[in-house]
Amino acid sequence: MILSTMGKALSSSLTIENSCSGPKTSRVLYVLTPFSCYLVFPRYKHTVNFKYNCDNTVVLLSGVQWVLVVSNIDLTTNVPIVSPSTFLGLSIKDFIVNINNDYRYLKMGYYVSLHAETLGNHVIPASGNIIDANRIPIFLLRSSKAGIPVMSYTVTSSVKQIISEVGFPVVIFAVNPLIYDGFKIAKNRSSLYRAMKSLSMNYKFAVCAIPLRGEIFSFRSIFGKCELESDARKVSERVYGVFKIPICKLHAQRVDGKVYLCGLQPVKKEELTPLDLKLISEEIFLMSRHGDPSIV
Amino acid sequence: MTQVLSKIACFVERYNFTDPREENALQNFKSTAEKLGHEFSFMFKERISDIPNYDAVFIRATTDPLYTAYIVSKTAWELGLRVVDDPESIKICGNKVHLYTLFKKHDVPHIPTVFLTKDELHHRRLVEIFKEFGKPVVLKAPYTSFSRYVEKVACETSFREVAKRFFRKSDVLVVQKFMPTAFDWRVGVLDGEVLYVCKYMIPKGRWKHGVKLRGKPTFIWGRTVTMKKENTPAKLKEVALKACNIIGNGLYGVDIKEFGGQYVVVEVNDNPSIYAGYEDLRNRDIYEKIIKFLVN
Repeated sequence: MILSTMGKALSSSLTIENSCSGPKTSRVLYVLTPFSCYLVFPRYKHTVNFKYNCDNTVVLLSGVQWVLVVSNIDLTTNVPIVSPSTFLGLSIKDFIVNINNDYRYLKMGYYVSLHAETLGNHVIPASGNIIDANRIPIFLLRSSKAGIPVMSYTVTSSVKQIISEVGFPVVIFAVNPLIYDGFKIAKNRSSLYRAMKSLSMNYKFAVCAIPLRGEIFSFRSIFGKCELESDARKVSERVYGVFKIPICKLHAQRVDGKVYLCGLQPVKKEELTPLDLKLISEEIFLMSRHGDPSIV
Repeated sequence: MTQVLSKIACFVERYNFTDPREENALQNFKSTAEKLGHEFSFMFKERISDIPNYDAVFIRATTDPLYTAYIVSKTAWELGLRVVDDPESIKICGNKVHLYTLFKKHDVPHIPTVFLTKDELHHRRLVEIFKEFGKPVVLKAPYTSFSRYVEKVACETSFREVAKRFFRKSDVLVVQKFMPTAFDWRVGVLDGEVLYVCKYMIPKGRWKHGVKLRGKPTFIWGRTVTMKKENTPAKLKEVALKACNIIGNGLYGVDIKEFGGQYVVVEVNDNPSIYAGYEDLRNRDIYEKIIKFLVN
């Protein structure tokens, strides 16, 4: 009955552990479902733990390396997808791809990765990377350590320090728990005071000040891919290599033709184009076939 | 001229100096470090860029992955400095969902806990929770510290009101069984060893150690009774050490309730309060032990 809800099962020996009635052995070669045939088949193992919820709503497989996508975005892919809140109630053991437009700390995107890690799963993105990527100074520090060109930055809550150490014009990013998107450009002392007052929440928190040396621009990065020229594309790919954030918006500066990374922020759902969704689906499909290259 | 062994930065905020007991404790750290031949400087958020000039960083400002203290901790960690609190401890202890998930995974005795997502804030789920834990229950925001964002609710209406408030910042909340006690044990742990043991008394007619007076911004705190480590129950210390082992080997303050002859962990705090004349009353060597741990 379970298998019929799953799809077609081909013949061989397989241990099936039903979470309601305990383990049992059945004759199936692999479970061929509309979404998992190409996932299970290449890494087929003879013992597969097979679980399903008592209400038959979700089917869980483990013992095989396959991809489970947890997403809050409607995707056109054949890979199994569960919603973030459903996933938090599961104890699945697999490679998890966490697709979310908003990976901020304390938001669902964060909790999905955290839950996956607690279960001992490999997950993209890792919860630690989520925190670091959304804290601009840490994001820039780790990017710089990975050899990505970044602008110099100062973390401070002192206007005087910014004026003396960074000068004008300057880009101010918030480093506080509540403001997470965007930045302000200050070209003179009064606009700097306004930006500081707002982004430091009345000087309660520090800000990240970056000198504005060229043109600042923002672009969406989907699995490290973007539609811009090769320099920006390289930055995008390398940021993905370090933080593995599948969907984000990157801020960068172009100075003398060279691209310097400045910051990262979440993408709003409505900003995602049909082309972006197609790209996400394709990347998931490829990942489900070849796995995550970072898994050794 | 005497040679300085290590340069220690103590990251503090202005509020760390508002309570004379805490200020005295900070001065005790400074004088102890200097007696041991180290340089000890207070570092405020204006001087975060000076971190590379130090050998070790000791954080006394409130820690949370969203606060400046995390930027300091992670920056120091990335630069290879010794740091208390380390970023991983902040990440775990700063989020009670993470903390209780690990308690469950590693079988640490803790207050009966469930997690609640936004999607689960409906009548049926709330009835289940009240049925499981009885009335009242305790609602905790994951980012709680110093008894803030922890509220007792006894009916569905107040449950919804508090939950909606906490959900503004976090997509998952903690719901716990209400376990009233006259005091909470506080066990200070450093590097896998018990540093001090106190009783944090609950103010009369209240249910938690720190209480905000209605209509006033001030908190009132219960008394702190410091115990000799040797005179405290072995089982208490064992439970405290077990809880810390799953987090790391830094400096922690473990809150434990004694209920029905059992010890259950309320939470583990990184960056525990150390006030002169309180936590150090029967353990004068805590300053030296912490400084030595920091520079070893």
